[in-house]
Amino acid sequence: MASEMQNSNPTILNTADLPTRLRPSVSSKSSTYGSEFFASTLPSLTEGSLDPISDYSQTPSESESDGELMEEPIDEQEIYDLISTINDPEHPISLGALAVVSLPDISIKPALPDVPESPLQTVTVLITPTITHCSLATVIGLGVRVRLEQSLPPRFRVDVQIKEGTHSTADEVNKQLADKERVAAALENGTLMGVIAKMLETCQ
Amino acid sequence: MAVENATTLTFLSDLTPPSLERTWLTSPHPTLPFVATCSSDKTVRVYSLTNFRLLSTISGGHKRSVRTCAWKPNISGESVLATGSFDATVGIWRRWDNYEETARQRQQDAALDIDDNQLVGEAEEDDDEWRFAVLLDGHDSEVKSVSWSASGALLATCSRDKSIWIWEDLDDGDNNFETVAVMQEHEGDVKCVAWHPAEECLASGSYDDTIRIWREDIDDWGQVACIRGHGGTVWGVDWEAIENVPSTSPDGSSGRREEAWKQWHLPAGPRLASCSHDRTVRVWRRQPKALVSAPGASGIPSIIRPSGADETWEEDAVLPGAHVLSIYAVAWSRRTGLLASVGADGRIVVYEERFLAASQMAQPMETDSATPAREGPVTPSHPPTEWKILAIVDSAHGIYEINHVAWTKRADRDRDESKEEEVLVTTADDGSIKVWNIMR
Repeated sequence: MASEMQNSNPTILNTADLPTRLRPSVSSKSSTYGSEFFASTLPSLTEGSLDPISDYSQTPSESESDGELMEEPIDEQEIYDLISTINDPEHPISLGALAVVSLPDISIKPALPDVPESPLQTVTVLITPTITHCSLATVIGLGVRVRLEQSLPPRFRVDVQIKEGTHSTADEVNKQLADKERVAAALENGTLMGVIAKMLETCQ
Repeated sequence: MAVENATTLTFLSDLTPPSLERTWLTSPHPTLPFVATCSSDKTVRVYSLTNFRLLSTISGGHKRSVRTCAWKPNISGESVLATGSFDATVGIWRRWDNYEETARQRQQDAALDIDDNQLVGEAEEDDDEWRFAVLLDGHDSEVKSVSWSASGALLATCSRDKSIWIWEDLDDGDNNFETVAVMQEHEGDVKCVAWHPAEECLASGSYDDTIRIWREDIDDWGQVACIRGHGGTVWGVDWEAIENVPSTSPDGSSGRREEAWKQWHLPAGPRLASCSHDRTVRVWRRQPKALVSAPGASGIPSIIRPSGADETWEEDAVLPGAHVLSIYAVAWSRRTGLLASVGADGRIVVYEERFLAASQMAQPMETDSATPAREGPVTPSHPPTEWKILAIVDSAHGIYEINHVAWTKRADRDRDESKEEEVLVTTADDGSIKVWNIMR
């Protein structure tokens, strides 16, 4: 990739200040899913009969038994946790710390608003390049799209766009990132995938 | 989005076993009951439409996803398939037409109770009968679409490198192809190419949001029209059948309109349908040649034409909106005139064009549904028609996007042999290919 850095002195946020559900995983999980925490402290009860689960735990994931279908609902915070740890292609700093991705710029909406029963959802991520003419914006966007497509169940449509007013060629970049065929071909491009793989090395 | 109830699209069968990776396109054979499906796993699978089972897997020719393929028309005794891949090459494959015989042979063998091992051996041999003929090398990046001209003499290929190549199949028994033209007018990836149903005239759709029409003028291939109108990438184009006539509206009084239709349609030629990222399906018509060359009767200066070959194409209709995400493919049945579209929203939509009923024509004449009348003499158009949605199938491949749709002749055992039934074949991101029956 480019030998000269495009932005050699970016603003960096303190990672400890970034919103996440990842770090203190035990405590945050227990606060969000109190019933699970309760259930796990009483393993003898839950093993013995199915009733305590269906009575006390409201999560649908527990009531059915085959794994994949009953994922927990995925929210914006979870999307943020998936992509904020991606490294910038030119700095060993995460997209979260560079504020390229931020929680308020992530939204999840039904993909087919006219079909209420459809499970399809669109995840929209607006990215803010560190400088307005950054030619790596496409690579960053592709990294975000690849990360989400590899981590989310297939019922999610991933829409990655440059945040309005933050990039000189945003429309061009957006069109490329929205083009399924170009993205598919990029995934088969060894050089490009090498760069993306390096960016994703820091993701869990 | 009113859907009329009389028509339903019912699921007939999957083609099995499917690819485990994304499938991009399924091309029906022009005469025989099988289809070829292109997959991201770098192979092409050939399935029977008689029993919906896999016949052969063509592999080893491409280093990346096979994006597209097309059967050469107008040959008998042998099938020829062109494949286009993300590896920037186009492959030509050949096979003697004996699937039917092989199937019959297998039935006889089964009747004679020949042991299974031997049958398996034969099946493997069948796969080997697809002969790799030649690799056409020229594009700089991913090949997106390939199409054979009606005669089978010309092959058009297009790519992300913004170019369209036309190759002539020399048919010299030595698999030689000659580059006839390289056209580079598009300003973005060329996503699709499709030949006119009879003439040597090519349509292409692009990432630059335009559709372009190409013809050979004396000795040179060149662009004769650039059609603007879509507000996003044009993913697919398909031609109308030469003799297509819209359906008769329920009030029946359409005899004269059909006559008028034919008189307009003959010089205008078949129309073109297109689908786009802008979520619309549009139909385009050509101004009949004679009218274009005649000077404006009212004395209004006609548009300056740099070349006699140029054609004027205008929007004929925007079909009723039924998709909420990108539309990836459109298929215009050459048998019934029905149109089908599929896309990222996982929906199949079938449309029908009808003559407007006499009662609907009492209002001030608006000769066509889409284009407002221009100043000066109004171009004579066809008798007014309207497009109706006949059927919508939601989640046709579950949660997956549908990449392609094609019409073909029904060939399975349960068909009604007294009439020529048609089926739809849809191809999706999860590798599944489904066959649908339209019931009217």
